[in-house]
Amino acid sequence: MSEPTYHDLPLLKPPVWTWEIPLYFFIGGAAGAAAVIGFAARVNGAKPSLVRDARWMAAIGATASAPLLISDLGRPERFLNMLRVFKPQSAMSVGVWTLAGFGACATGAVIAPRPLRDVAAAGSALLGLVMSTYTGVLLGVTAIPAWNAHAATLPAHFAASALASATSLLQLRDHDEPALHALATLAAAFEMWTGFQLERRQKPSNVMRTAGVLSGPLPLALRLLGVKSKRARRVAAAITIAGSLVTRFAWVEAGKTSAAQAMRS
Amino acid sequence: MQSESRVTGFFTDSTLCIGCKACEVACKEWNGVPDDGFRWSGVSYDNTLSLGHSTWRHVKFVERQPEIGRGGNAPQGITWEFSSDVCKHCENAGCLESCPTGSIIRTEFGSVYVQPDICNGCGYCVVSCPFGVIDRRPDDGRAFKCTMCYDRQKVGETPACAKACPTQSILFGDLDELERAADRRIAQLHSAGMTDATIWNPKESSVGGTHAFFLVRGDPRAYNLPANPEMPTKYLKPAWTSAAAAAAVLVVGSLLAFAVGGRR
Amino acid sequence: MPGLGTSFGRGGATTAQQDLANADAILIMGSSMAENHPVGFQWVIEAREKNGAKVIHVDPRFNRTSAMADHWLPLRAGSDLVFLGAMIRYTIENERYFRDYVVHYTNAPTILRDDFKDTEDLDGLFSGWDGKKYDPKTWLYEGAEPKESAPGHRPSGGGHGKDRGGEAQNVQKPIRDETLQNPRCVFQVLKRHFARYTPELVEQLCGIPKERFLEIADIYTSASGPEKTAAICYAVGWTQHSTGVQIIRAAAILQLLLGNIGRPGGGIMALRGHASIQGSTDIPTLYDILPGYLPMPALDDNDAQSLSKYIEKHRSPKGWWYNIDKYIVSLLKSYYGDAATRENDFGFGWLPRLTGDHSHFGYWTEMQDGKLEGLFIMGQNPAVGAPNGKFERTALGKLKWLVVRDMVENESATFWKDSPEVVKGEIKPEEIETEVFLFPAASHVEKAGTFTNTQRLMQWREKAVEPPGACRSDLQFMIELGRMMKARATGTPRDAGLRALTWDYADDDSDAVLREIQGNVKDFGDLKNDGTTTCGCWIYSGVYDGENKALKREPKGRYAHGWGYAWPLDRRILYNRCSARPDGAPWSERKKLVWWDEAAGEWTGDDVPDFTKKKRPDYPGDEERGGDEALPGDAPFIMHPDGAGWIWVPSGLKDGPLPAFYEPLESNIANPLYRQQTNPAANKMERDDNVYATSPDPRFPYILTTYRLTEHHTAGGMSRTLSHLAELQPELFAEISPELAEAAGVANGDRVKISTARGSIEARALVTARMPSLNVDGRRVHQVGLPYHFGYRGLVTGDVVNDLLAISEEPNVRIFESKGLTCSLSRA
Ligand SMILES: Nc1nc2c(c(=O)[nH]1)N[C@H]1C(S)=C(S)[C@@H](COP(=O)(O)OP(=O)(O)OC[C@H]3O[C@@H](n4cnc5c(=O)[nH]c(N)nc54)[C@H](O)[C@@H]3O)O[C@H]1N2
Ligand SMILES: Nc1nc2c(c(=O)[nH]1)N[C@H]1C(S)=C(S)[C@@H](COP(=O)(O)OP(=O)(O)OC[C@H]3O[C@@H](n4cnc5c(=O)[nH]c(N)nc54)[C@H](O)[C@@H]3O)O[C@H]1N2
Ligand code: SF4
Ligand code: SF4
Ligand code: SF4
Ligand code: SF4
Ligand code: SF4
Ligand SMILES: [Mo]
Repeated sequence: MSEPTYHDLPLLKPPVWTWEIPLYFFIGGAAGAAAVIGFAARVNGAKPSLVRDARWMAAIGATASAPLLISDLGRPERFLNMLRVFKPQSAMSVGVWTLAGFGACATGAVIAPRPLRDVAAAGSALLGLVMSTYTGVLLGVTAIPAWNAHAATLPAHFAASALASATSLLQLRDHDEPALHALATLAAAFEMWTGFQLERRQKPSNVMRTAGVLSGPLPLALRLLGVKSKRARRVAAAITIAGSLVTRFAWVEAGKTSAAQAMRS
Repeated sequence: MQSESRVTGFFTDSTLCIGCKACEVACKEWNGVPDDGFRWSGVSYDNTLSLGHSTWRHVKFVERQPEIGRGGNAPQGITWEFSSDVCKHCENAGCLESCPTGSIIRTEFGSVYVQPDICNGCGYCVVSCPFGVIDRRPDDGRAFKCTMCYDRQKVGETPACAKACPTQSILFGDLDELERAADRRIAQLHSAGMTDATIWNPKESSVGGTHAFFLVRGDPRAYNLPANPEMPTKYLKPAWTSAAAAAAVLVVGSLLAFAVGGRR
Repeated sequence: MPGLGTSFGRGGATTAQQDLANADAILIMGSSMAENHPVGFQWVIEAREKNGAKVIHVDPRFNRTSAMADHWLPLRAGSDLVFLGAMIRYTIENERYFRDYVVHYTNAPTILRDDFKDTEDLDGLFSGWDGKKYDPKTWLYEGAEPKESAPGHRPSGGGHGKDRGGEAQNVQKPIRDETLQNPRCVFQVLKRHFARYTPELVEQLCGIPKERFLEIADIYTSASGPEKTAAICYAVGWTQHSTGVQIIRAAAILQLLLGNIGRPGGGIMALRGHASIQGSTDIPTLYDILPGYLPMPALDDNDAQSLSKYIEKHRSPKGWWYNIDKYIVSLLKSYYGDAATRENDFGFGWLPRLTGDHSHFGYWTEMQDGKLEGLFIMGQNPAVGAPNGKFERTALGKLKWLVVRDMVENESATFWKDSPEVVKGEIKPEEIETEVFLFPAASHVEKAGTFTNTQRLMQWREKAVEPPGACRSDLQFMIELGRMMKARATGTPRDAGLRALTWDYADDDSDAVLREIQGNVKDFGDLKNDGTTTCGCWIYSGVYDGENKALKREPKGRYAHGWGYAWPLDRRILYNRCSARPDGAPWSERKKLVWWDEAAGEWTGDDVPDFTKKKRPDYPGDEERGGDEALPGDAPFIMHPDGAGWIWVPSGLKDGPLPAFYEPLESNIANPLYRQQTNPAANKMERDDNVYATSPDPRFPYILTTYRLTEHHTAGGMSRTLSHLAELQPELFAEISPELAEAAGVANGDRVKISTARGSIEARALVTARMPSLNVDGRRVHQVGLPYHFGYRGLVTGDVVNDLLAISEEPNVRIFESKGLTCSLSRA
């Protein structure tokens, strides 16, 4: 017995999070990226409808995030206890404060008096950067091997996924700026590379593979085709969104599976 | 009353443990912890299987092949070992660092304590404990674990589990004194030929040592005591670096993309 | 416990659990002390850690006690006497015995009658067997006169009456050969008797490799002598056999040979069961004795005729039982007060008489046969705890009324609606006429009173909380019941005793009860036979001398005197005169306990001397004066008429003066020692509803044994109902070896069916190498282990293991054989 275990029983506790959390990862990430896109679009004088849609996406996403997070709490009525303290070492604390600020800014960016909107939007873009990355930190900075093994990957991975889903959502709103397509292609390429890395390090689960295929090679291929074809771009967008969603579910699942394994260290 | 600065802990010596589970029961009685389900496991005499939201002390049963003539105390090797597990009250505690509400605090006794009136059941501590200790109780919604009997210590009482232990397998006391006692004990056991006895206290790891530490025989991993536990916070740097890089790419990329291809 | 009673004079453990810490070796056998006496086990660990004492556990299973031991030997359930016989032989053959102790303090030198025939001569029978029972005449000492009928031998009696120091004989000065050479001296008879109990036989019958046995025999016997002592701990792994008492006798012989009785770190620690089970034999819930081990008069015996006949029969000319007249008269005065006068024999005639076997199985059989109308079950759960569960439960259904007083509605109270018989449709609730009355009982924390623990220590508990709802203490109930009965007493002679009975207790006044037990004296030394003294239980007298000593919590010294009160007279180690040499000096500095202080002219030491304080070591004994004064100053076993520890029991046991190995009542192995396969005096109580497998029986190839788990308590009423305990062992399981599992095609966790001649049950298979298969008698023997705590009520439920067992009676204490019967096992 080279690696003795305790009756092959797991050491760690699996995450208690249910579907709300991966869904939030998806929505919050997309909203954050949308805010960034909206900001970049506005700075570069893009079409107002694109800017508006991106801002609305951020605002709606932020608004939808809170109930998801709250409903997953064991004691939802105590959500506000999250704001008792700010702990930079706790990604969840950082995330909650970020979400709070992001929510305020993102909604400000669409409903505040017009002169203030751009300021709010700038804020939401700044916090959106955190929104679309911190969930990777949240998973990475834990005791779960399947997560912390990818601590350096997950934030970028989630950011790419967020970017891909935000651009794709905007494309499905019939925005067809090349910038969106380029960003989405970049994200897909990154996701393909990430998938490749994961594949190399350990055998991912089927869900994770599916997520990978839906996020990387498949949309990438379609995107490359999509330089010419709008249909391909739209199909790619749809697939990307699915891929991004499945990615988050896959990662939470991976955490659960990982925690259920007997300790090997 | 204890002096404010007293750092206390547990030294649990499995060579003295008779596997009676009095500690498990005493803990539940004192703390009003509910049952953990009535499932027969088929795993030796262990039916609670692990620490959790409703098992704050847990007695493990490590089973090996017996040999005629040899008792469990024979120095030649282990046959049936019992070891009472508990929250490690880590020097650097993953749960505490992760808790977004500040519900988890370090007490004046050096223990890691969940304030039940603060916890909102976010579940982040659950994945942040390198020892799978703390967990959220489904019907209650909050996270629970050993309190190191904070309430009892406040009034100068010994924790219920240590009090109930008939063989002093669970020693409670000043941490530094316990560490000395453990050194003496291990020396004694080694000189008696029980060379497989070791102290598990991951001082070299990022956890930085624990306030509940254990003496076990054989490989601690057989007791689900990891050889190299890690503080999750050790991943803060790579993760935030990754995040920062990604954010930079995101913002620069977006700006560039729209600068170049912001119009149809 | 006649095994200890006949060997040493008193039926209690000879030592205290704290004293185990002073041992140099501890043999735990027939007990899983770590599991069932976990708190007391701390002193075993202390001995191990502080003295380097070797802890030896001999048990069919490697259990939690084995896990703490230095050595573990598995054995075939039911083969204990072979092991112990071989230990005795080893001790003699290798001259490991403590010669000075043996010569001076035991009856080893005593010469026996020439007409005694041993089991070696009669192929498994001792002389005196009449085909049904033994006449112990030939077992007496040479020159001793037999009495009219030997106690413990009459059919109606159980064995709890023990031998009050020679009721069967009038020992004058026994003839002794202190060289131990006379072929008719006890020592030589013993040597011949056990000559065939060799290490090879241990290997053959117990399944313990010879070398391993020799190793342990060496370790144990070399931890004895003037400088060292070794202790033995046992419990029901020894008692619940058809030879249970003789197994304990063998341990007593071993300890006497090694000089381990009455010395610190020595002794035999009889580990008792329920918290006050010692108390409930001292002030008995048994049918054949009165408080303080006074025998119950029996209708078929001359002791029932009058007080003087009773005294004549049970009084011993020498030793402590000379005083029995004082004890019985004081007890009668306590019962009947002013109504007890010298003229009416102090009401002796009002005492009930034994008319037959009124033990549990005796009256349960009568119940089954419809001869019993009503029953009180108070603090018992026989529907689960007693053997042949179906027999027990169906018998309850033959009653007109049944009162159950318990803290929970246990299986015995609900047998009529949810027993396996009802579930299987064998009986219909509407056809059972028994009217069941369930009375809620207060628990031990809800009432005040004493526990007398396993080491005779009385400890008073205060009431911690008021009992909830309608719960009342048992005392309150009994007091009220007594009042009602007295109120209904008629003028007939039959009720005279009831009318005379003093019953002036205030409600629930346990303190008054303890005072009545104490009596109107300082301690039992002051009791008289003239009716001027009262005493409810002479051995306890002294506990309430001015203050309630059972309540004291000020431990002092090595034996914690000042914490509670140990009967008799707060002596913690019985027979402690043995700790000094005949001349009164300690055997060794290391093992000193009680010694003679010449300057003060009295015995002194760390314990209260279990000896007359001022009796000089060189006092020759005065035959004329009788009683204790007839015993010399070097006779430590003061209850015995010869003052000696009895390696040989001349009377008092129904199945022989020495232990002999017999197979369990059900066994697939032929007894290679004697033609006599099983204990001839044991009662199988075989009948259509209590059947046995044949021996051997191919239908039941495996050995079954039953036991306890730390997590549960006995019949489960107090543990299966509590979530914090129930979750720890939530299901009935059968421990089997990987080998048996493979043979039976069973995997860990599978449901298996276990059957005996009485019935079948189901359990989960716990496949573990801790329950090894053994090589016995040239074949591979598999054993099946079952904890017996499960029943059909509570938070966790399971089949009743006792449905597999037979009702049987060991001859002396009428206990059943729960360890070592035959069974089959297959996948369910
Ligand atoms: N936790 C707990 N403690 C208890 C009780 C309880 O139910 N639970 N019950 C109390 C009561 S009422 C009693 S009487 C005592 C009993 O205390 P114990 O006598 O210790 O109880 P058991 O577990 O029945 O049996 C002891 C051991 O005998 C072994 N054994 C079985 N067959 C044989 C055999 O043939 N030979 C030998 N040498 N060993 C054998 C069993 O494997 C078991 O390990 O415990 C008391 N203490
Ligand atoms: N197969 C097998 N059978 C065995 C044994 C074995 O080893 N193997 N062991 C035997 C032995 S040693 C014993 S002692 C018996 C035990 O068998 P039982 O005595 O029949 O079983 P218990 O569960 O101890 O029953 C005690 C009951 O008393 C109740 N009780 C507790 N305190 C009080 C109180 O203060 N007042 C009242 N009125 N009730 C109270 C409890 O709730 C419980 O229901 O089992 C025997 N049966
Ligand atoms: S063991 Fe786990 S729950 Fe306990 S203090 Fe350490 S991190 Fe927290
Ligand atoms: S579940 Fe409670 S204790 Fe755990 S991290 Fe969240 S708020 Fe803190
Ligand atoms: S210290 Fe208190 S809370 Fe912790 S395990 Fe012991 S009894 Fe339970
Ligand atoms: S109470 Fe002590 S001896 Fe019993 S299981 Fe717990 S640690 Fe072991
Ligand atoms: S339950 Fe009571 S009697 Fe039994 S071991 Fe524990 S303390 Fe002793
Ligand atoms: Mo018992």
